[in-house]
Amino acid sequence: MNLVDPAQRPSRKAPLVWAIGAAIPWFVLVVGQLVWFAVDHRTWWPHAVAAAVTVLGVALFVVVVPLWRYRVHRWDVSPEAVFTRSGWLVQERRIAPISRVQTVDTERGPLDRLFGLANVTVTTASSAGAVRIVALDSEVADRVVAQLTDIAAIGAEDAT
Amino acid sequence: MTIDTGIEGQEWHRLSPRMLLVHPVHEVVRQIPVLIGSVVLGSATGNPMVAIGVLALTVGFGVARWFTTSFRIGPGELQLRTGVLARKVLSMPRNRIRSVSTDARLLHRLLGLTVLRVSTGQEARGDAVFALDAVQAEQVPRLRAVLLADSLAPAQDQEATPGRVLARWQPSWLRYSPLSFTGLAMIVAAVGLVYQVGAGAALQDSSIAQSGVDAAERFGVAASVVTAVIIVLLASVVLSVARSLLTYGNLVLRRDSEVLHLEHGLLRVREHTFDMRRLRGGTLREPLLVRLFGGARLDAVMTGVGGAGEASILLPPCPKATAEAVLTELIQRPDIVTGPVLGHGSAATRRRWTRALALPAIAAVVLLVVSVPVWAWVAWGALTACCALLAFDRARSLGHRVGGGWLVAQAGSVHRRRDCIAAPGIIGWTVRQTLFQRRAGVATLIAATAAGVKQYQVIDVPAALAWSIAAQASPWVAESQWADAPQSRA
Repeated sequence: MNLVDPAQRPSRKAPLVWAIGAAIPWFVLVVGQLVWFAVDHRTWWPHAVAAAVTVLGVALFVVVVPLWRYRVHRWDVSPEAVFTRSGWLVQERRIAPISRVQTVDTERGPLDRLFGLANVTVTTASSAGAVRIVALDSEVADRVVAQLTDIAAIGAEDAT
Repeated sequence: MTIDTGIEGQEWHRLSPRMLLVHPVHEVVRQIPVLIGSVVLGSATGNPMVAIGVLALTVGFGVARWFTTSFRIGPGELQLRTGVLARKVLSMPRNRIRSVSTDARLLHRLLGLTVLRVSTGQEARGDAVFALDAVQAEQVPRLRAVLLADSLAPAQDQEATPGRVLARWQPSWLRYSPLSFTGLAMIVAAVGLVYQVGAGAALQDSSIAQSGVDAAERFGVAASVVTAVIIVLLASVVLSVARSLLTYGNLVLRRDSEVLHLEHGLLRVREHTFDMRRLRGGTLREPLLVRLFGGARLDAVMTGVGGAGEASILLPPCPKATAEAVLTELIQRPDIVTGPVLGHGSAATRRRWTRALALPAIAAVVLLVVSVPVWAWVAWGALTACCALLAFDRARSLGHRVGGGWLVAQAGSVHRRRDCIAAPGIIGWTVRQTLFQRRAGVATLIAATAAGVKQYQVIDVPAALAWSIAAQASPWVAESQWADAPQSRA
């Protein structure tokens, strides 16, 4: 048997937010390189190498990776379990039963707040079993949290 | 619980008065550098009162520790007040207590004292450790019964039924220890310590070093190096065996209905109590050097007990049959403990070989580029042979077994382990695939539990099998709405 991949996608804004998040450190690096270029005129080839590496890095981490992650990321919540797929080079599919859920956390970073996104983390008694649903629209995240806490409250097991 | 022990209630109790002897000694030992400094200072200034004053202060501090430490076993909470200058109160809800272990060093044993550690299963370090240091040894069974009363209701009558001994330490178990690296590590640490305190420089000028150099000149460098290596190896073997003997000598593993007692140590006696209802399986570990002699060690997989290190050890290196028999006794499933595992197929085997042979391949390229003497190629041949053996052994070890409510994952060569996990304890599944794993059509299946090391991996299973293993172990996976099982739906 196999598990069908979960159906729900993250927010449409997710690739944009991931791209901006990745672009910020690269932008700092580019500024640093421009300063270095303005100050140091001795040889040209270290600048060329650094610029090439930066262009490749930006293309990979700001353009390719966010789109790749958006293609991979999926999530779903059923009355019995939470199921996610995530990653890009290393891909993970993770399932946890709701009867064993201990806490449901919502987390919004500065960029997430700007674009109205939220991340939901569902933790279980195992430190290796936390399920993270990233980059949801805020209202979707609120709905998921309400749904999860509702179901989890029914179970009264020890959760270990 | 209604055990009348006279120790529960609202009043605060002091630790054993005999600690008035132990604390000052420990304090003096701890402050040895300061004391040496004060003696030096005293003799330099010609005023011996400095050293005596510091000594009196240290002893006084040790005595004050007894007066400032007290504990209370309230109806819902266990509390410990400590600290001479900075006061601290540690509180622990009694229904969170998962295990009680005891530990008695030499001085404690001479005075009939025992350190009692209470654990909630959370990692506690340094000051957060809840330790009663120390109570009288004859109080321990009573305290343990009181402390574990909430989690272990039938523990009162354990004195009446002494329980069954599952394993008892044999002197022959020492044969697995000579080849461990603990002795070598101790020698290195000792040498490091000698140099750190500056004795190294003094040693270099001394007559011992001088006579050593003379001897080396007389016998030749090669002979001296060989002799030194042999001496270090012998010392390492002796130290390893001695440490193993002192740590695990007199080990007794006993089961009293729902409680597992482990006691070990010759000079320093340690005792662990495990709640059998929290047992979620066991791990048989066979480090290469132990496996060569047909040995194995056994760790408990238990919720509320850390999975790695001393906390979870059930048996040190011992004959494999003993470890297997004990685990079988604990989980009542001989097929899970010793049954054959299902291999992971050719893709997984290929990955073992590519990984192991990557290093020799790179080395070969390097050797071809730079010209090297012939012996380098001989060394390369030996390295390749070792890597090939490693790959062969790793591929042979790899396997899993699932069914009847248990999951078995076996892997590794140098650190071979067989994890036997009870499926009801598994509270989440992850299927992880790297880019290379996707291309090879395999996946790593990870079972998350609240017990032991928290995650147990089944490495490089065929990708098509990963979820069916999870579904076989956990019915909730098979019953989930994403399950796609044409054969069962039909």
